[in-house]
Amino acid sequence: MRESIVIEGLSKYYNGFLALDNLSLKIKENEDVALLGPNGAGKTTTLKLLCGLLRPSSGTAYINGVNVVEERERAISMVGAILETPEFYPFFTPEETLSYLGRLRGMSGQGLKSRIDEVIKLVRLEGWAKVRIGKFSRGMKQRLALAQALLHDPPILILDEPALGLDPRGMIEMREILKKERKEKVVFLSSHLITEVVQVCDKVALIDHGHLLVYDSILRLKRKYRKSLEGVYLKLTEGAI
Amino acid sequence: MSEFEKLKIVTKYELLKQFRRKRFYGALVLTLLAVILIIALYKGLDIPGKLPALITDSPELFALFVTSASATIPIFAAVFFAGDSIASEFEHKTGYILFPNPVKRSTLVVGKYIACLTVTALIVIFAYVATVIALVGIYQQLPIEVFGSLALALVYANSVLGIAFLYSSLLKGSMGATIATLLTIMLVFSVIEVSLIFANIDPWFMHGYAGDSIASVYGIPFAAAWGGGMPAGMEERSPDPATSFFVMLGYFIVPFILSIWLAKRREML
Repeated sequence: MRESIVIEGLSKYYNGFLALDNLSLKIKENEDVALLGPNGAGKTTTLKLLCGLLRPSSGTAYINGVNVVEERERAISMVGAILETPEFYPFFTPEETLSYLGRLRGMSGQGLKSRIDEVIKLVRLEGWAKVRIGKFSRGMKQRLALAQALLHDPPILILDEPALGLDPRGMIEMREILKKERKEKVVFLSSHLITEVVQVCDKVALIDHGHLLVYDSILRLKRKYRKSLEGVYLKLTEGAI
Repeated sequence: MSEFEKLKIVTKYELLKQFRRKRFYGALVLTLLAVILIIALYKGLDIPGKLPALITDSPELFALFVTSASATIPIFAAVFFAGDSIASEFEHKTGYILFPNPVKRSTLVVGKYIACLTVTALIVIFAYVATVIALVGIYQQLPIEVFGSLALALVYANSVLGIAFLYSSLLKGSMGATIATLLTIMLVFSVIEVSLIFANIDPWFMHGYAGDSIASVYGIPFAAAWGGGMPAGMEERSPDPATSFFVMLGYFIVPFILSIWLAKRREML
């Protein structure tokens, strides 16, 4: 089976601090993987490296066989991403923002317009489509972030804490969208919400201090450690801060 | 899709962003107020009457006085438009949405620059149109040198943009980039220029000196009028417009290329 994401010996130093240490990971076409780990484990760094927002200190990564470091634009065209807590231009409306991003991704005309309507409806921002984003709450921006990630219907979703800032209803809705999207897309997400991970992903990669501790299916991990995923997480990250 | 197509898209939305901001309209209002104030001072204080006899009131003197003074506003506008152009993507985290797109950083920087140049040029042109209206109203004449001065003012504003883009790519915050640009142009360059003058070195290659061609293009013989002894602070400054044009172009090209290089290397930490 084809590999959608390949991470090969990826390391990243921030001014001498090793944030990611020789990480290697392969995600196949039909897999949905969660990146778990304590704060500062290197989760966001991994996702940023995959999206070409950081340069690796060593190693490389591939998206559908395209080298992210050497052909960033081509690799990223196959990805929809939410990274950190994204902000939007406050002077634009969601429609204008999605129109801008859609055009940059090669969409245009009626196709773009109807897709914008579709994703806005999907994230339940219909009533806010023509309102400037400057007036939006954190949760509404997170919904819009998901809309822009899905806009060009990419085969791969890279999501960094996708439920961050959402209220309980928003979290449930986000989870339902991801459960639907995972049927056709590869989802690679980082999250602290174990319940979200269990429902959306079938595999987890647990990292700590930049090291990969374990990478396996949730089912196998539960069997191996005879614990819930939460229990496995706590056991493997014992003593980590 | 070609990078040129993407450049057109980036420029279009960057322009929309600029036109949605209050600072563009604020700059227009300030420019108009500055032109009105300068005209009022010129006439109210009878500036031509206070100058040596060789210099009489003329459309050229009026245009020189008004455009060279009011050109300061567009310079500030250029700094404020460009100061946050790159830095804000990192500072306000909008880069997390913009950068993970199949578009080169260089395309983004050039698109942002074209948008900044357009709005700055609009304000410079607005200042000159206001001056032209006043000229025609007061003197019923329009000296051809006004157009030369306008062209040089646009090149000068462009060079300010280049410097502002450099700092915006280099520094973490928009405010820091804006202040650094202003300090560089108004303090550092001025100190170097004055030092060169004291050392009897012709400062033709300095940014501010080249910018004075905006006024010298009118050909008012200040030095001859004062017989070589200019009043304090008004030393002879008559840079060659053609040389100054290329000097100002250099002050745009070098920082702007550096800005693209820095923006391409900058990481979204």
